[in-house]
Amino acid sequence: MRRAPPINLSGILINAAALVLVLSYALPYIYLLMTSIKPAADVQQIPPSFFPAVVSFENFREVLRSSTLPRAFVNSLTVAVLTTALSLSVAVPAAYVATQYRRRITTIFLLFALVTRMVPSVALGVPLFQLLKSLGLLDTIPGLVLAHTSAAVPLALLLMSAFFEGIPEELEEAARMDGCTRFQAFRKIVLPVMTGGIAVTALFTFITSWNEFLYALLLTSEATKTAPIVIAEYNSVYGLAWGAMTAAAVLYSLPVIIVTLALQKQIVGGLTFGAVKG
Amino acid sequence: MSGEDRFVLCMLAPAVAILGLLVAYPVGLLVFDSFFKVDTITPHMREWVGLQNYFDALTSKRVVESALRTVQYSVFALFFEFTFGFCAALLFSALAGQSRWHRTIFALPLMVPPIVAGLLWRFLLVGNIGILNYGLVRLGLISDPEAIAWLSSEDIVIYSVSFADIWLTTSFVALVSYAGLTNIPKDLLEAARIDGANAFKRFWHVTLPLMRPVIAVVVIVRGVDAAKTFDLIWIQTQGGPSHASEVFSMNIYQRMVRFGDLGEASASGTLFLIVMMILATVAYWKIWRPVHA
Repeated sequence: MRRAPPINLSGILINAAALVLVLSYALPYIYLLMTSIKPAADVQQIPPSFFPAVVSFENFREVLRSSTLPRAFVNSLTVAVLTTALSLSVAVPAAYVATQYRRRITTIFLLFALVTRMVPSVALGVPLFQLLKSLGLLDTIPGLVLAHTSAAVPLALLLMSAFFEGIPEELEEAARMDGCTRFQAFRKIVLPVMTGGIAVTALFTFITSWNEFLYALLLTSEATKTAPIVIAEYNSVYGLAWGAMTAAAVLYSLPVIIVTLALQKQIVGGLTFGAVKG
Repeated sequence: MSGEDRFVLCMLAPAVAILGLLVAYPVGLLVFDSFFKVDTITPHMREWVGLQNYFDALTSKRVVESALRTVQYSVFALFFEFTFGFCAALLFSALAGQSRWHRTIFALPLMVPPIVAGLLWRFLLVGNIGILNYGLVRLGLISDPEAIAWLSSEDIVIYSVSFADIWLTTSFVALVSYAGLTNIPKDLLEAARIDGANAFKRFWHVTLPLMRPVIAVVVIVRGVDAAKTFDLIWIQTQGGPSHASEVFSMNIYQRMVRFGDLGEASASGTLFLIVMMILATVAYWKIWRPVHA
């Protein structure tokens, strides 16, 4: 016979504490969403209200009608896609040989990639500015892609090596037995198995570039401004345009949030994995 | 050279070329420039000055102050991120299977771009319309919504600007710690329970020592990132009021862009890099190593 479980006081306390914690972390972002759908005039009312009295999409219309923000979104998207493509195309093969064909040179190489994480981007920004200037790439999309790649390659290398360490050596051996060359074994056997890991790494690289601010601030001016720079300007150049700012911030962050939530399991796995390995 | 070696080199070469061009060369240029008087506008005209840039940087009041502020900021942010994040991980692990939704919602700030987090917290804290102070009035903690000038008081601004950082990265600490906690063998904790250890003793003598590598990773990764912070603070205050929230990375940026002093900015950048590497190495040895020894 089973007895009903006794009322578990510590269980209730733990649940309550977890709920308070989780809610207090979610509230600021919910407030951002709520503010973005207020009529522009209500955004700065005193005292502020949490929920909108009337729902209005005025703020969204304003930022989408402006000429700078949509273009900045296109710039951000272009830079992030190109950065991801470039970073993955060099980091995936390198991470593969670094984990599957260990040599002194590959160990040194991975160590170097790890150390790169310690380089403050402002310190790298100073000489990158000169490098791009001498190449004539200042304030161009390719220039910004190169700058973002300097940070994205080490990240992609570390994540990909963590993923490659998980594949059995027999896989490649079997392919070699069947008469594949090393490169064919990599391309036809290993890569297809790694699609999931590559997708997570690509998403991370994309988000890193999408979020990047300092290089964009240093290396771009009018033509190639990215979204974070334009959004940042909502609170300086146009005075305190909080309504427009909240709408732009929502537009800028929501796609990433939605994709991440959809792929949450793989991403959280990849993130903790990458962090613990790195 | 064997075929295998050739294959390894071919696969490695593009990444080596990219890292060489975009990381090694710039770092070399940074160190090189730090010994010259160079202008941001005309970087090809260099005048050798030896260690003068380092001397100037280390004796400048504003530089030293911004370095100390970086330490204040990083320690404060890291302490709260770690405390909140680790507590969250313990709560989630106590809830075990029921914590899926909690973890999902808690991971939200992780996906928010730093620039949005900075703007959002500026909006929450800003004088007269910042909702945080109205919330504190509602809770009876302060009497007047103008009582705390989070972002405009020189005394507290360096701490206020770290709220965004804490909010943004606590979930990272929580998720990594949670992964670490789930890897602790259950029978070890059970054995300690049978030996009569209470919850606190089990935590102190079993959980904490086993979590050491995870804690090391979190402290190193987050500590390095906090010390590098630029965008979060820039967007909230641009270093103001009167430099009271100007951290080291921002100071370097200002000297290079506003004052065009590339040489001195490079010297500071080099110093920054050296200190970060030393700190990371020390943290690695002190926190991580003992568990392997």
